[in-house]
Amino acid sequence: MNSASVLALALGATSAAKAADAPAALIIAQGGLGDQSYNDLAYEGFKKAVAAAKIEGKPVESKDVVAQAADILRRASDAGFGLLVDLEYSHGEALATVAKDYPDTKYVILNQVQPGANVASVLFQEQEGSYLAGALAALVTTDTSIPGINDKPIIGVIGGTKSVGIDKFIVGYIQGAHDVNPNVEVKVAYSNNFGDPAIGLQMAKAMYDEGADIVYQVAGGTGIGVIQAAKETGHYAIGVDTDQDGLAPGSVLTSMLKRTDVAVETVVGDYAGDTFPGGKTVTLGLKENGVALSDMKYTKDKIPAATLAKVDELKAKILSGDIKVWNAVDQGYPDFFK
Amino acid sequence: MIRAALANLAAAALPFVLALAIGAIVLAVTGHDPLSVYALMASEAFGGTRRIAATLTATTPLLLTGLATAIAFRAGVFNVGVEGCFYLGGLAAATLGFWLVGWPAIAIIPVALLAGALIGGAWMVAPATLKVRLGVDEVVTTLMLNFIAVNLTSWLVNGPLLARGSANSATPAIEKTAELPRLLPPSTLHLGFIISLALVILYGFWDRFTVTGFRSRLVGLNARFCRAVGIDVPSLLFRMMILSGLIGGLAGAIHALGLVHRFVAGFSPGYGFTGIAVALLGRNSALGMILAALVFGALASSGATIQLFSDVPIEIVEVLQGTVMIFAVAKLGLLLRDRRGLA
Repeated sequence: MNSASVLALALGATSAAKAADAPAALIIAQGGLGDQSYNDLAYEGFKKAVAAAKIEGKPVESKDVVAQAADILRRASDAGFGLLVDLEYSHGEALATVAKDYPDTKYVILNQVQPGANVASVLFQEQEGSYLAGALAALVTTDTSIPGINDKPIIGVIGGTKSVGIDKFIVGYIQGAHDVNPNVEVKVAYSNNFGDPAIGLQMAKAMYDEGADIVYQVAGGTGIGVIQAAKETGHYAIGVDTDQDGLAPGSVLTSMLKRTDVAVETVVGDYAGDTFPGGKTVTLGLKENGVALSDMKYTKDKIPAATLAKVDELKAKILSGDIKVWNAVDQGYPDFFK
Repeated sequence: MIRAALANLAAAALPFVLALAIGAIVLAVTGHDPLSVYALMASEAFGGTRRIAATLTATTPLLLTGLATAIAFRAGVFNVGVEGCFYLGGLAAATLGFWLVGWPAIAIIPVALLAGALIGGAWMVAPATLKVRLGVDEVVTTLMLNFIAVNLTSWLVNGPLLARGSANSATPAIEKTAELPRLLPPSTLHLGFIISLALVILYGFWDRFTVTGFRSRLVGLNARFCRAVGIDVPSLLFRMMILSGLIGGLAGAIHALGLVHRFVAGFSPGYGFTGIAVALLGRNSALGMILAALVFGALASSGATIQLFSDVPIEIVEVLQGTVMIFAVAKLGLLLRDRRGLA
């Protein structure tokens, strides 16, 4: 018998009392720990949750993470881990396959939905955060007292690809903008690319030339070029996923954050409390603090207090249910965006 | 004779032993018990059928990237462009794997593998031509071509070949019929391992018993002599570089059809470069490269899962890999032989 299986037995023995005592593992995505982004954020939430629940938690990194999907998941399942949270997007199908063979182990996958009674899928209500970003942009674009804002009521958004997953952001953004000012024009473009800042730079500059002064990027690495364009031309960009305000301080109006830390903390907490949402899709929105606008550290001082108060008011209305933000993934396309 | 064989074995094992010693120091300094960590690594690499299967899965791409590198190295061509061929071969095979809907396995698998190999070979035509016609250093051209290949595939998979609705840079999944059969379900070990192993063994025979095998080794040892005795050196170098690219492309194609089942960002964590270390550590010999690929495969498979049972971070495993590579390049065997010569 090897030492690993001895350890596994020991772990199994301590977990006999309650299933949710078994240790948890967090599989780190490409980029690894230290990326000061997605992985680090998720690991923060993971550490907090396992400490609070007093269960053992292990992060697993691999340079070869794409190829080792099933191998890592199976090894951890064999060894008596009770919960596996997988951050790597490309592990989706492998996770669903492995989960079938280990009905007593719980699995979590982010940003996609996978089947299985012991699999929880975590999605973010990106449309809610995007709504606030659109509302803020519409308020700012008509306020020429703010430096860099022209007299044209035009804002823009650049998506990485024409897909419903990306249009979910765009629809929320347009709805937010039109709710505060129906006269604001929202230019929409797709870069058909998530990894090329040069394309983002070009497309954003074209939008700024056409009179837009704020452009929301939903295009991953391509979006870095949008932020660069904002900096070069003295306009504004809106960041996405992580807090990108610091990439070009003062040129990024705000960022639409996806709080991966909150997501991981929530599911680990549910697991420890025996309320694991197996077979369900957990959607984290403004209410759960799963999406949010950034603190606007570099731009807050430029924006009138009344504008910020209006955005907070809209947020309260979403939380209370007075405003329903269109979810393009669940509801299909709305009339105002076909 | 036996003494010479033992000396060879010692020379081949020495880099690994030295790396373990240095790794032990790093582990001890960082507050881990080296012996228990090594025991855990050994059991995670070889403890039971499932772990052995995982190790062999991790070994598979390295067998062929090592072979692709060795074929060029032994002819004296320092081709460091296998990584690029791996990316292109993987993308080509994955693309055919989801395009050729409805094709039976018997047709789609050979076609996709062949396409992967051909694109890898074609990728080497330019640097091979530049080398034999104009004497352009192949290290520079093949290294630079890696960046082009990685970025080209990244652009394609972020744009024209992106799966609809995918939030990740990935092609659609390949057809079920295009997947290489698994050898030991539920483990990920697939037919690609057998193909790769067979090719390395075939190379061993080619190396020993064929005229081209002998000639290309001779060219690597002394190109001027070969020219003097009438061997067409440029033509031989050209063919060896293309062959190297073909195998590199095939390696990527096998990885796509056998394991990943699509092309995705981060398709290779540097298999082409680890292949260089495999060729160097294995001294371009078939058996040596199989063992070297196994060493790196074991480090990769155990490196990930030991984190489940210890607090050893992945960086320690990377230190070990890096140290093995450094000592692999050093000709430690010379040191041994010199000593004996003096004594």
